[in-house]
Amino acid sequence: MTGALADGLFWVMAAGAVITGWRVFRTDSMVRAAYWLMASFVAVAVILILLAAEFLGLVLVLMMAGEMTIMAVFMVMFMMNPAGLNPMTMVHQHRTAIAAGVIAFVGLAGVGAFARFPSAPPPAATHVTADVGHELLGGSMFIFETAGVTLLATMIGSLAVASRRGRFGPADEGSVEPGPPAAAPAAVPESEHAGHAGMERPDGMVP
Amino acid sequence: MVRGWLASLAAGAPPRVFLLEGADPPAPACLLGQNGAVEVVDAPRSATLLVVAGVLPDALLDAARLIHDQVGRPRCTVQWTHPRAPAPPVAAFPVTCTVTGSVDDLVASLIRLQADLVRGALTSEAPILPDVEPAPWRGVGPYGQGGTGMTGGVPYGRPLAETAADRDGLKLDQLAITVGPFFPPFPTGLALELRLQGDLVQHATVHPNPFQVRSLPSSDESGDEAERERDDPFGTALDRPVAIARLEMARARHHLLHLARTLRLHGLDALGRRAMSLRAGLRPGAVAPLCDLRQLLERTRGLAIGTTGAGHLAEATVRNRGLGPIARASGLAEDERVEDPAYTALGFVPVTHDGGDACARWRQRLAEAIQSVQLAARAGEARSGGAGRVEAPRGPLTRESSATASALVLLPSLLEGMEWGDAVATVVSLDLDLRDLPPASTASAGQPTAAVVAA
Amino acid sequence: MRLGLEIAVTGLILVASVYVVAVLDLVLGRLVAAAPLRLAEAVVRPVRRGALLFLQRPPRTERPDQALWILAPALLGAIAAAVLFVMPLGPTELSQSSGMRDVDAGIVYFGALMALVMVAVYLHGWAPNSLFPMVGGYRFVALALSYEMPLALVLIGAALPARSLSIGAIVDAQAGLWNLVRQPLGLPLYLVAALGLTFRGPLNVSDAADLAGGTPAESSGVALLLWALGRNAILVAAAAMGAAGFLGGWRGPALPGPVWMVAKSLALVAVLLGVSHLVGRVRLERFVIVAWAVLIPLALLDVFAAGAVALLAGRP
Repeated sequence: MTGALADGLFWVMAAGAVITGWRVFRTDSMVRAAYWLMASFVAVAVILILLAAEFLGLVLVLMMAGEMTIMAVFMVMFMMNPAGLNPMTMVHQHRTAIAAGVIAFVGLAGVGAFARFPSAPPPAATHVTADVGHELLGGSMFIFETAGVTLLATMIGSLAVASRRGRFGPADEGSVEPGPPAAAPAAVPESEHAGHAGMERPDGMVP
Repeated sequence: MVRGWLASLAAGAPPRVFLLEGADPPAPACLLGQNGAVEVVDAPRSATLLVVAGVLPDALLDAARLIHDQVGRPRCTVQWTHPRAPAPPVAAFPVTCTVTGSVDDLVASLIRLQADLVRGALTSEAPILPDVEPAPWRGVGPYGQGGTGMTGGVPYGRPLAETAADRDGLKLDQLAITVGPFFPPFPTGLALELRLQGDLVQHATVHPNPFQVRSLPSSDESGDEAERERDDPFGTALDRPVAIARLEMARARHHLLHLARTLRLHGLDALGRRAMSLRAGLRPGAVAPLCDLRQLLERTRGLAIGTTGAGHLAEATVRNRGLGPIARASGLAEDERVEDPAYTALGFVPVTHDGGDACARWRQRLAEAIQSVQLAARAGEARSGGAGRVEAPRGPLTRESSATASALVLLPSLLEGMEWGDAVATVVSLDLDLRDLPPASTASAGQPTAAVVAA
Repeated sequence: MRLGLEIAVTGLILVASVYVVAVLDLVLGRLVAAAPLRLAEAVVRPVRRGALLFLQRPPRTERPDQALWILAPALLGAIAAAVLFVMPLGPTELSQSSGMRDVDAGIVYFGALMALVMVAVYLHGWAPNSLFPMVGGYRFVALALSYEMPLALVLIGAALPARSLSIGAIVDAQAGLWNLVRQPLGLPLYLVAALGLTFRGPLNVSDAADLAGGTPAESSGVALLLWALGRNAILVAAAAMGAAGFLGGWRGPALPGPVWMVAKSLALVAVLLGVSHLVGRVRLERFVIVAWAVLIPLALLDVFAAGAVALLAGRP
């Protein structure tokens, strides 16, 4: 991309990131706040791409799009405000917020002021994505990937355990976890759940 | 210039129609979408034409006015009535045009009207209701966040949702809404008062039946027996024998139309149009196209995928309730035709399906349609009826009771705990029609649903 | 200069393909309905329908978020355009000289844009401040969280033989053998995810008839037209990615590259549209269970198998 165009895009995105970030706190709905924040992140992602960190920029968009949607859904769920459409203020706990904001700004501005930035674009032949991977993970790539898959399996597993038809039987039918043997018979009426409870318990736990 | 060119392009577009079906339409209103010349849309906003088919009872007028004002602009309203219907049908409604005739006549008028509308030859109808907030803003605080905490206040007259226990034992917000009486997938006039958690139905109540009075003068008075037999063969069969061929063809047509509605609900509009065109071309004995459709549906599992497991009705729930095909889809061989010597002479044995869910019910109806077409071919001149009881397409019909009345009683408890998609599929699978009243007396007509509300 | 030309070409491809999808949908619908069809009618009907919607005045609901209501369809169209912009129509060397074409991390680029589809649909349901659109928006989030994992995994599987995240390199790596053959699980899983991504047919839970039209239930006129166009555009984008990832992209005998790419994309569009006309909407709860219990494990299997093959056979 040519220099002038890239420069122009950078300034537009930089201003956009700041303005949308400011809008997060001035809007009156949680859904809007979440998506203003996403817009701010997308602007930062475009800047990352301009800085030749394509992969990081794209992953930022990928993560934030999903994350902000989930955040909006959860905030609406927990705030007892159906649809998030009834207006409400987005700013609370002013002192803590101001302190945190000042500290964060000083820290990041310090990085900006004292870090050494490269002055030339990377040579055309470099594989930026691969280099970023080696830089970040180096020899622990395999371990990291393994941990990633393990985490995914854990997530799916925890969903399966938490679902209604979970490991300990239907969640709404008084199922119990395999705790101390004495507690189990009291919680489950033998007549209804005996076969079920016995079946579901690991063998070692059956009294 | 550009606008004129666009208008001439748009003038040839298929009319976008939202349907309001009232009592005694000249033909089932959903037939409008049969050949694709008219697009029947799901929401009034994007329609240009509002078609009022038949006569709207007074109880539905308020809802109809609301929908009228939601129809996209430019818009106009078309009244489609039976030639026998008493005029003027809807006084409090700005009707631009009234059509009395067949579906084809109506389609022709709709195409002409929409062309006039987009060309500007016809002015758009003004809204009926005043455009005001339903209730004033009554929130408190700098952002109207209400009261002292984050909750509280009554913004626009709507209290914030209150929590209630859900099926997983959590406390979640509840949304109280009314769906109907013109919700397109539902039978016309059916309004459900719901408490939803997400799209999970927590509680459902059926509103009173708006169709309390039959609007058409009964054919007994008009005295045209042949016409009555053609329009309402099952009602006629209560009083005197009717040709079995006529009854069975009417049954097959009814089931195919219901299949078309089911297909449309599940996003299979094209297959729905196919079912409707099969209905139009139905001949006694010609079962091959029906079997082809059934084979296609079974091979692709296209309709089973969204209906299997939805709205399960156990045998014990439906036994001896007079539910006809619904009972037969739960494996019970309940059928009035078994008692009829005219039918047994034809070798009639009721078809049944196991499963008792929405899937079993459309399979049951399609199988019955095929069986009916075969029976009609075998029946010859045989006649049935006159005993005061007849097996109508929806189930046993007498002068005092109809299958819809029996099925409505089951509805609230059946819907509880269902996801909204399943709930709609279940309502459709029961094939209700609130206009399907026992023909005997208008006084008892509203009773079944009133009883449901009380329960 | 060159960038401007490419943007113009992408725009042209987008407009043309959106129109072709509309005609194809009409033709397939008539085939399934076993109804007669005049080709002339199928060709002009989408245009007439569009003109009608264009002339409708915008609707008003009670306190909508007007900006988001219009931005959501626009975002959908922009996502599709951005995807088509990086689709290789020929050998990588040809498009290498320009900046954005053939993104280094093309698969991630596609994934990021597809995550934004969720934002577009959710906001489209949320903005009108109305019940059915909102339920549609929430339903789509539930659907998206279920199909996105298999989608990402099978695309990673497609990238493994190429040892690169670039779409151009993935197409190049299919010179000898298409990923369709090499990874038999890949394309079927991708197509299921694509149905969710484009919210069509069996996975059209957000714009469904049981929600009176779902997210566009309150839309009319230009906004509805834009939404319909955006839906078609996203279908084209998903099909193009499928063609590049599993059907060898622009590679093929005799004909020039772009023709093959267009033909393969259209074939996938036709498959997706055909499925939409033949298979009804799934029950969302069931699909979520199937997605987590069946599709994700299958997609993991696909990735592991592809990785093993790439390690053992594809050692350079």
